[in-house]
Amino acid sequence: MFKRPNGLNSIALRLSAMFTLVALLVFVLIGGALYQQVDKGIGLLPEAELDARFSVLESSINRFGNPDHWAKISAKLTLLSEEDKRIRFWAVSGDPHYEYGAPDAQIRAFAQSPTGVRDLYIPGKAAPYKVLINQIPAKEQRPALRFLIAINTETFRQTQHHLLVALISLAIIGVLLASALGYWVAHIGLKPLIKLSQEAQKLAPPRLSGRLKLSPLAPELEQLVSAFNSTLDRVEQAYTRLESFNADVAHELRSPLTNLIGQTQVALTRGRSAEHYFEVLQSNLEELERLRSIINDMLFLASADQGSKASKLTRASLAGEVATTLDYLEFILEDAQVTVQVSGDAEVNIETAHLRRALINLLSNAVQHTEAGQQIEVLIEHTGKRASISISNPGQAISAEHLPRLFERFYRVDAARHNSGANHGLGLAIVKAIALMHGGDVFVRSADGRNTFGLYLPV
Amino acid sequence: MRVLIIEDEEKTADYLHRGLTEQGYTVDVARDGVEGLHLALESDYAVIVLDVMLPGIDGFGVLRALRARKQTPVIMLTARERVEDRIRGLREGADDYLGKPFSFLELVARLQALTRRSGGHEPVQVTVDDLWIDLISRKASRAGSRLDLTAKEFALLSVLARRQGEILSKTSIAEMVWDINFDSDANVVEVAIKRLRAKLDGPFEHKLLHTIRGMGYVLERRSV
Repeated sequence: MFKRPNGLNSIALRLSAMFTLVALLVFVLIGGALYQQVDKGIGLLPEAELDARFSVLESSINRFGNPDHWAKISAKLTLLSEEDKRIRFWAVSGDPHYEYGAPDAQIRAFAQSPTGVRDLYIPGKAAPYKVLINQIPAKEQRPALRFLIAINTETFRQTQHHLLVALISLAIIGVLLASALGYWVAHIGLKPLIKLSQEAQKLAPPRLSGRLKLSPLAPELEQLVSAFNSTLDRVEQAYTRLESFNADVAHELRSPLTNLIGQTQVALTRGRSAEHYFEVLQSNLEELERLRSIINDMLFLASADQGSKASKLTRASLAGEVATTLDYLEFILEDAQVTVQVSGDAEVNIETAHLRRALINLLSNAVQHTEAGQQIEVLIEHTGKRASISISNPGQAISAEHLPRLFERFYRVDAARHNSGANHGLGLAIVKAIALMHGGDVFVRSADGRNTFGLYLPV
Repeated sequence: MRVLIIEDEEKTADYLHRGLTEQGYTVDVARDGVEGLHLALESDYAVIVLDVMLPGIDGFGVLRALRARKQTPVIMLTARERVEDRIRGLREGADDYLGKPFSFLELVARLQALTRRSGGHEPVQVTVDDLWIDLISRKASRAGSRLDLTAKEFALLSVLARRQGEILSKTSIAEMVWDINFDSDANVVEVAIKRLRAKLDGPFEHKLLHTIRGMGYVLERRSV
């Protein structure tokens, strides 16, 4: 059954969570920077306003020093503070005629602070006043006075507060939006993947011939699909090979069994001489030996298939192993009137019994396909990290369709099977299994009137 | 020489019993691990043939219990031609190992190898009827005339002659002459026997080298 993507591992959920985190980070960074900049700007505003107001007032205060003029100034200050409720003025001097704003004791004391901008906390007010204290020198009858312009910072605070609230709520909305949109986008983006897995679900074992479609796919998925398809190719090939292998095994076992059953039944249908029974038993034994040999070879191949590796490795000279093998095959070579020329050498780690078996199979295969008076060439090469043994004999070219399949079990170029003794079509398959058990491989070439079979071994 | 066979497969146990008795062994058969272990501990055997898959206690169990008390030589038999089984059997003290399907001749050869007394000196000269072989100077003659043999032919002849009257399978001949102990695609032994036969028996009326179809070869004087 197709399982819907859910749970914490869902790619869509994880992507949208990541979108959310990214959005959060971006909003916090931008919002924080923005807030700081604006905050700094707002912090400078009161002082700028105080300075501006003072510079306007300073010249008019300084113009004359008589009571009339001061009365005008006082009226102007009153007018100004009524126009803008945030602003208050105080003038503090020894002489009550030249004072303004009815300074109480707190203000009087505060006015004696050094000139400049200071904070003044007035009881009952939440925010402090920013106060600019200036010294205005005496002029004519007017004594020197401390002139204070105060501005209530409450509004600036409120502005700051509004900004903060606005930024935070924008960030929250933005993050929520990003995560929702992220989920949606991820979901849309993952659609091809979901479609692909639904398609892959349909490729259950009995339908191995099916493949995933490549055409309307995102390029990111194409590699996955082609890798998946080529895996399926290999699985299907192996599956087909296995099926035909089973059929071949049954066939190979069937003919000796047919002989065994038939001969024994014929022998038993009527009384026979002891000699006849002896004959039959001997013939049966030959068939049974054939069965044993096939079964042993198949067991060997099966253990190689199960990943059994060559153990008991010893370091040996390949030329030495070839020489030992040729010594064993001496009589066969002489009978066939075939000579062998060996060149090159390499040292490798091998399980000698296995390698000899492979060499015997390769060489006797070569002898069988070489005409009397001709020469087999054995070439041992050492290139980089591997050594190779190639055994080539002059012979009819093997057509290209057969080449890649020669090392398959029971594969024969000529369909007519010659069931001769030990030669039951597993020889080259065993060579391949032995090469694989050593971490190597086999190869075959047919060119220029020579057929070359061989194996690679890691050095 | 007493041999104990621990094997639950009836046919196998029966033919081993008959075959080994005919080879001159005194044979006891146990049909399961418990009985087999009991016999193995109670009596003294020259060698024990032990199947791996047994009811009761399996072959490994029998071997372990036996090795705790005795060092009787053991050949293990198993249908599972698996390297791990082989390694496990040998590690737990088996002396040899045969995978089924095995040939009876092979089993006899292994039994002989295990029970052969050490120190038995190899003969220097062997005679089979009118055939005379000197194993030291590597010369052979028949009815007084020298046989012109190659080194390999001589090795083959001496292997057969030292075990005269004994059927040798192709596999054990290949092992003894060429040190090749596996089935291969090449029928080297057949070709070698053919050559040896041409030189040994060719000119003579009386044949010494005989083929036992399906089993192997034997060198012996046979009354006509």
